[in-house]
Amino acid sequence: MSIASPAPLSRSVLDCRSLGKRVAVADGPLDLLADISFSLPEGESLAIVGASGSGKSTLLALLAGLDLPSSGSVMLAGTDLASLDEDGRARLRGRLAGFVFQSFQLLPELTALENVMLPLELASRKGARDIAAGWLERVGLGKRLEHTPRTLSGGEQQRVALARAFCTGPRILFADEPTGSLDTHTGEKIADLLFELNRETGATLVLVTHDEALAARCSASLRIAAGRVVEQRGFAA
Amino acid sequence: MKLALRQFRRGLAAGDYRTLIAALVVTIAALTAVGLFAGRMAKLLNTEANNLLAADAVLTADHPIPAHFADAARAAGLVVAQTQAFPSMAAKGDAAVLASVKVIDGAYPLRGKLWLAGHAESAVGAPPAGSIWLDPRLANRLKLKVGDTLRLGNTRFNVAALIDREPDAALDFASLQPRLMMNAADLAQTGLVGFGSRIKYRLLVAGPPQAVAAWQQQARSTLARGERLEDVREARPEVKTALERAETFLRLVTLLAATLSGTAVLLAARRFAARRADAVALYVTLGATRAQIRGILLGELLLLFVFGALAGGALGWAAQEVLGWAVRDRLPAPLPAGSFWPWIAACGFGGVLLIGVAGPALLRLAATPPIRVLRRETTAPPRLWLTLALTGIATAALFVGVAGNAKLAAIVAAGIAGALLVAGLLGWVLLLLFGRFAKGFAARIAVRQLARRRWLAAAQLGALAVGLLGLWLLTVVERDLLSAWEKRVPVDAPNQFAINIQPDQAASLDKAFADAGFAPPALQPMIRGRWMAQNGKQVEPKRFEDDRAQRLAEREFNLSWGETLRADNRLDTGTPLDESKPGYSVEAGLAKTLGIKLGDTLTFDVAGTRVSAPVVNLRTVDWDSFRVNFFVVGTRSLFAELPASLITSFHLPAERRDVVARWSAQFPNVTFIDVGEVLGEVRRVLELASSALRLVFGFCLAAGLTVLLAALETTAPERRREAAVMRALGASRAQITKVQWIEGAAIGATAGLVAGVAASVSGWLLAREVLELTVPWNWQLPLMSLATGVLLAALITAWERRQLSRASALRLLRDPG
Repeated sequence: MSIASPAPLSRSVLDCRSLGKRVAVADGPLDLLADISFSLPEGESLAIVGASGSGKSTLLALLAGLDLPSSGSVMLAGTDLASLDEDGRARLRGRLAGFVFQSFQLLPELTALENVMLPLELASRKGARDIAAGWLERVGLGKRLEHTPRTLSGGEQQRVALARAFCTGPRILFADEPTGSLDTHTGEKIADLLFELNRETGATLVLVTHDEALAARCSASLRIAAGRVVEQRGFAA
Repeated sequence: MKLALRQFRRGLAAGDYRTLIAALVVTIAALTAVGLFAGRMAKLLNTEANNLLAADAVLTADHPIPAHFADAARAAGLVVAQTQAFPSMAAKGDAAVLASVKVIDGAYPLRGKLWLAGHAESAVGAPPAGSIWLDPRLANRLKLKVGDTLRLGNTRFNVAALIDREPDAALDFASLQPRLMMNAADLAQTGLVGFGSRIKYRLLVAGPPQAVAAWQQQARSTLARGERLEDVREARPEVKTALERAETFLRLVTLLAATLSGTAVLLAARRFAARRADAVALYVTLGATRAQIRGILLGELLLLFVFGALAGGALGWAAQEVLGWAVRDRLPAPLPAGSFWPWIAACGFGGVLLIGVAGPALLRLAATPPIRVLRRETTAPPRLWLTLALTGIATAALFVGVAGNAKLAAIVAAGIAGALLVAGLLGWVLLLLFGRFAKGFAARIAVRQLARRRWLAAAQLGALAVGLLGLWLLTVVERDLLSAWEKRVPVDAPNQFAINIQPDQAASLDKAFADAGFAPPALQPMIRGRWMAQNGKQVEPKRFEDDRAQRLAEREFNLSWGETLRADNRLDTGTPLDESKPGYSVEAGLAKTLGIKLGDTLTFDVAGTRVSAPVVNLRTVDWDSFRVNFFVVGTRSLFAELPASLITSFHLPAERRDVVARWSAQFPNVTFIDVGEVLGEVRRVLELASSALRLVFGFCLAAGLTVLLAALETTAPERRREAAVMRALGASRAQITKVQWIEGAAIGATAGLVAGVAASVSGWLLAREVLELTVPWNWQLPLMSLATGVLLAALITAWERRQLSRASALRLLRDPG
């Protein structure tokens, strides 16, 4: 696979070179991902699409430093993830990245406000409460600050997750099937909100989805099958 | 810490925490309540037993007691009294009888009560100067009545009252002469005290237990020759046995309470740690470092612990106040104040359990890969060995601390370990068998599910088995062991001894008993003999370092003969006495004190004749049976030709005490000894201990069962998720219920059976080895336990079924917890 970056060319925030992930199974080694390289400039949006089990979530995990590759490298904002230990990668994520997950990943015992405050407090940011409340207001949950996830609908939970993802002012946002657990109508609203916030903040977006319509809203896309890139769009040659 | 505090605060309101907190609070509360209550009861029992000393502590000397002892006691805020006892002839006209004179001062008795015949109130202080109080036997022999005059030494005294009961008579048990009490102010003028008088001086001390203990410790270090501290346990083996048994029972119940609630903490903590894994992965994803995560988790654990310690301590304190309030009418005195130790020990145990189970799991969590937020199954399993090691240490420390008796700790611990091991093995075998023979959808699925989550099944099985073991052991203690003790010292246990009966008086004594409406007494031969040699080597009392051994070796032994081992004696080692082979049977405690071993040849001097034979057995005597018992019993041939008297014990109801005076007149050589006070004390200890135990038992049972059920429920989410999958795949509710029933019944039945057998064996061993009680083997227990195990599993299954029918398959799949 050739090295590609989406047009127009600008400073790259995410670079990966010959990325591969190999695991041992009963029959021998199995390549979950192989030979993936691309470069993503700041402010762009990338959709990673593919069928279930194609390796898209594994790729997202490697790009975000949630897991380490067996081969190749990932540079996040100019830092080689492999050169950092687990804590170093966590700090880097805390400083640069936001996350949105399919299953929301809110802590059930904390209120909406406390869930949003979490990354701010982990980064020891002052005024965490006000920042979090502002973001919840922004996602339309200003009146539900003290609600726990159990009392919120799926769409509302994902709004809390969006507020949590954006409140630290991330340079890059990783979203794993953000609309996967929602009905079509709610999913569309969440997607609108996601792109809107992304535009407002100027963050780079890496989005894993199997929803073609959602992928089409991104400036670039990679299609993955059996761990390899089989199609790409929007990258400069 | 802010995050930890928030997690904890929110957790309090959320279901996740509730079971763990409840289990922790109940563990600390139960241990605090039981420990505190048991400690206060033990203190009260000891104080009560001190009634037999008429004080909390007694210093005895064969010379006037140096003033510094009394000064030190007074300085420590203790009250003191002094007594002197010596034998002297009391005379009326020409008749004279040897009396045991006791000189008392105004403070006597400091504990217990002195009752004078015909007086509604107990007496405090000495008779007025110039007056004396008399034992009715003495009055009888000298034909004296109240108002008469008696001569003692150079002085005449007015008989002011007859003594009904004297608290510390047991201390002068060996002196068989009837009692005469006089005022200390009159002593000098009698002229009885002079050089060479055999006077026993006593300093009586009473006050707060800690001050008394401190005084005893100080006094012990300054004891001179001929001075010693008396101990009610040493003076009366019956009371010693009763007190020790009461303590052992209370300790045992504390251990079982700990076992029950500890199991619940283990289960709940495991679930808590599993739930935290998700949060940790999220923290890492959002940028938390390992140090931050460790800080949050440990902070949370610390807050949990502090909350458990405070809430548990308060609840435990309140519970033991309620227990004390419930028995207040039966207590002879208010319960003494408790100490903080039970709470500290309870917190220690709860804390180590928490760290032992949740700690390794939580620390391991700090290494949770962040990818878990994307894939749930990637949690690292907690280090089982670390958990086992830490909980093992916590349990061992608690057991040794609480049990205070290695055998007790070992039997309960072995019971738990055995139950766990056998439950594991049996579960494994059953799974194999089921796997091979299971027919039908439900059975096959149930077996497959159990096999797949083997560790969870093992945890459930083990917890249920240990929980049931705790419950059943409590039941065994309450039903079998306590009853065995109560039966041992019946209300009509002998309270009178008659000694010095001549063999030719046996028939007329039988008749006298029959005339008064009593069954003929069981007479036993008694021979007085001095211990001369052990294995041919002359016995020198001075070579014994132990005071008690020295005194035992100095005095004459009461020996007896007869081959049959009595019901209240148990053979420890050796063979029964056999008429064809001369030999001795020696009481095990005495043998230990005097260093006598099986096979040693003992020589006694009986009225100038030396009697030698080997020790053929050592036996344990149930001293609290109040029947006649001997330290040394020989074969008939050894003693049959030597001068012997007869001895018996019998129960005399309070309203028939008059017959003793009659019998004393009819058999002047026979001495009747009233041990009613001692028997009363033992019964009081027994009754107090058993009513306390029954209450504590109920408390432990209720608390233990509640948290155990709650904790077992925490293992449900995994099963709920499976049920949801099955339902999503189209299984009917009936099919799912059947699967859960088979699973539950298999676990419940196995755990129940194992717990029942383990409880039955441990209970029997505890009775035999620790409490020295004989209980029949409890055969029904394993069956009852099996049924209970199935019932408990059914309750949990029914509860889960209700949860399941309320929630949609989708919700359960998303969030089984």
